[in-house]
Amino acid sequence: MAKKLLICDDDQDIVEMLELILEGNGFEIITETDSNKVYGLILDLVPDALLMDLWMPVINGDEILRLLRENISTSKLPVIIMSAAQDGESIAQDAGADEFISKPFDVDELIAMVQQMLRKSS
Amino acid sequence: MSNSTELPLFGNDAANIKLLKAALDSSISGVIITDNCQYDNPIIYCNKAFEKLSGYERGEVIGRNCRFLQGNERKQPAREAIRKAVGLGDPVTVEIRNYRKDGTLFWNELYISPIKNPEGQVTHFIGVQNDVTRRKNAEENLLHERNMVEKKVQERTRELKENQEYLDSIIQTIRQGLLVLDPDYRVISANDFFFKTFKVEKRDTIGRSLYELGNGQWNIEQLKTLLEQILPTNNPVLDFEVDHEFPHIGRKLMLLNAHRVELEGNFKDRILIAIEDITEIRAAEIRKDDFLAVSSHELRTPLTTIKGYNQSVLRMLPPDIDPKIFTMLKKSAGQVDRLHKIVTSLLEMSRIQTGKLTLLREEVDLGVLIADVVEDFRESNPGHHLSIEGAVSRPVMIDESQISQVLYNLVSNAIKYAPGSAKITLALSEVSNYAKVSVRDYGLGISIEDQKSIFDRFFRVSSVQKHFPGMGIGLYISAQIVRQHGGTLWVDSEPNKGATFSFTLPLREKEEADG
Repeated sequence: MAKKLLICDDDQDIVEMLELILEGNGFEIITETDSNKVYGLILDLVPDALLMDLWMPVINGDEILRLLRENISTSKLPVIIMSAAQDGESIAQDAGADEFISKPFDVDELIAMVQQMLRKSS
Repeated sequence: MSNSTELPLFGNDAANIKLLKAALDSSISGVIITDNCQYDNPIIYCNKAFEKLSGYERGEVIGRNCRFLQGNERKQPAREAIRKAVGLGDPVTVEIRNYRKDGTLFWNELYISPIKNPEGQVTHFIGVQNDVTRRKNAEENLLHERNMVEKKVQERTRELKENQEYLDSIIQTIRQGLLVLDPDYRVISANDFFFKTFKVEKRDTIGRSLYELGNGQWNIEQLKTLLEQILPTNNPVLDFEVDHEFPHIGRKLMLLNAHRVELEGNFKDRILIAIEDITEIRAAEIRKDDFLAVSSHELRTPLTTIKGYNQSVLRMLPPDIDPKIFTMLKKSAGQVDRLHKIVTSLLEMSRIQTGKLTLLREEVDLGVLIADVVEDFRESNPGHHLSIEGAVSRPVMIDESQISQVLYNLVSNAIKYAPGSAKITLALSEVSNYAKVSVRDYGLGISIEDQKSIFDRFFRVSSVQKHFPGMGIGLYISAQIVRQHGGTLWVDSEPNKGATFSFTLPLREKEEADG
C-alpha cells in the first residue's frame, strides 16, 4: 500500500510541483495550502509523514509541529520541515522536526529523505 | 654800596659781573635771557652751554624770539603751557621738542622764570635749558615697550578667546553628547547636544554629580564600573555599549567613549565622555536584517519551484531527445543554482557584518570534507585535474557547511581565474596546532597591490572584472568565516604565476580528542 504523505505549503506552485514529483515516486499525496487546516487534516486522515513549510500565514509550521508533538497520537509522526529562511534549520530542530531541507532543494535529495524517513518509521 | 665791595658777587663792579658771566658760561645748562620790554621778546643773552646745546652761535640768536628753536613744530602742547605762564607772569617748566642748527631734534627741558620790576611788570624772562633727549628717549622706549606688551597681551587674549570660541563651536556642532567631569564625577561642562538628547537643563547639570543628574538617570551600573574601575587604570573606554531605560526619553542605546586627561596641569584627571545615541542606527540595522531575511526568503521560494520542475523535466526527457535541448536545460539548472548562491552570499555577508554569523561547530575530518568538495568539482568540471596532497591526524571543530563554502569559493576561484590551466592542487598539512589547507592554481595570479584588497567587500581586481563576472564577496565571506573559526586566510601570488590561497583552522586539542 502506498504511503500517505501530506504536503503543506502556502505557495500553491510549490505544492503542485511537489505533488507531481512525489506522486511519480509512488506516494499517495494529500496537499494543503491553508496552514490553519493542517492540524485537523492530520487528525482526520492520519498520514504516514508530513512535509511542511515553516513561514505560513495564520499559523507557522513550527507552531503546528509543536502541537503535533504534544498530542500523543501524532507525537511520533515523521515530519520534514522545508524552508527558505536562513535560520530555518535551528527553528525546525527546536520544534522537533525529524528532518530539515532548505529551499531551493535538490529533488532527488528530497525524495531520498522522504523514503528513508518512512523506512525508519515503519 | 660798600657791602658789595666787601662781599664778592654783590655789587655792580666789573669784577663781579665778569665773575657772574664766567659762572653762567661754566653752567652745563643752557641759559638765555629775553627782554620782554622790547618788541617780540627778543633774546638778549645766551651762555656757552646754550651755544653747545643748540649748535647756534651767540651772534645768530641775539635779537630773535625763542620760537625759532621749535623748527616747524608750532603746535606742541608745551607751547600752550608756556603761553599761559608767560601771560600770567608765572614760572613754568616744560619739555619741548627743539631743533639744533643742523636740524637734529633734541628734547629740551625748559624752565622759564619771569623777572619783574618793583611795579610787578615782567621785564625779562630767564630760560634755563637742559637736553633731556636721552631720558626722553628712554621714557619713550619704555612707553613703547609697554604699549607693545599691552598690545601683545590683547592680541593673545583675543586669540585665546577666538580659539575658545572656535573649539566651542566645534563642540556644539558635533552630533554627540560631550561631558567633562571633574575627578569626583561632577559635571564641569556639557554641550548643547547632550542637553537636547537627554532633555535636561544646563542649570540642573553643571556642578552636579553625574550620578545625580535627572533624578539619578545616569546612575547606571555599567557606567559606574567604567568610570571608577577602568578609567583610573589609564585605559580609555572605547565604543562601550550601554542600553538604558531613561525615565522621560525612553530606552536609549548609547555608545560611550571616555578618556581621562593624563597631562600634568590644570586639567589633569578630568574625565571626557562622548555619548553617541545609536538607538536609531541599531533600529535601522535590525530593519535591514529583517528586510534581507524576508527578501531572501521571497527570492528562494520561486527558485524552489523552478529548480524542482527543471530537475523533473530533465528526468522525464525521452532518451532520443536532441542533445541540444538537454544541454539547454542543464545550463538553465546551473543558473538557478548560481542565483541561489548569490542570494545566500548576500544574506551571509549582512550577517557577518553585523556579527550575527553563528557557527554550528562539530567534529569534522577535514580530509574527508576536502575529498567530498573535490569530488563535486571533478563531476562538474571534468576538464580540470584536481589533486589532493597531505593529511591531518586530528579532527577540527568547525561549522562544516561554512568551511565547505570557503573551500567551494577557493576552488571555484582557482578554476575561474586560470582559464588556460587545468591543474589545481589542494594541500592539507598540520602546522603546530593548526590544520593548514592550501588551494593552488597556475593561472593569472594577483599583483601585490591587489593582494591587499582582495579580501575586502565588493573588491574586484580591475584587470579581471570585465572578463570574469562576480560580485567580489566570495573572498570577503571566506576570510570572515575562517577568522570566526580562529584561523587566518591569506594569499601568496605573483602575476602570471598562479595563486595559492591558504587558510588555517585550530586542530582539536589532543586530550580533548582522546577524552
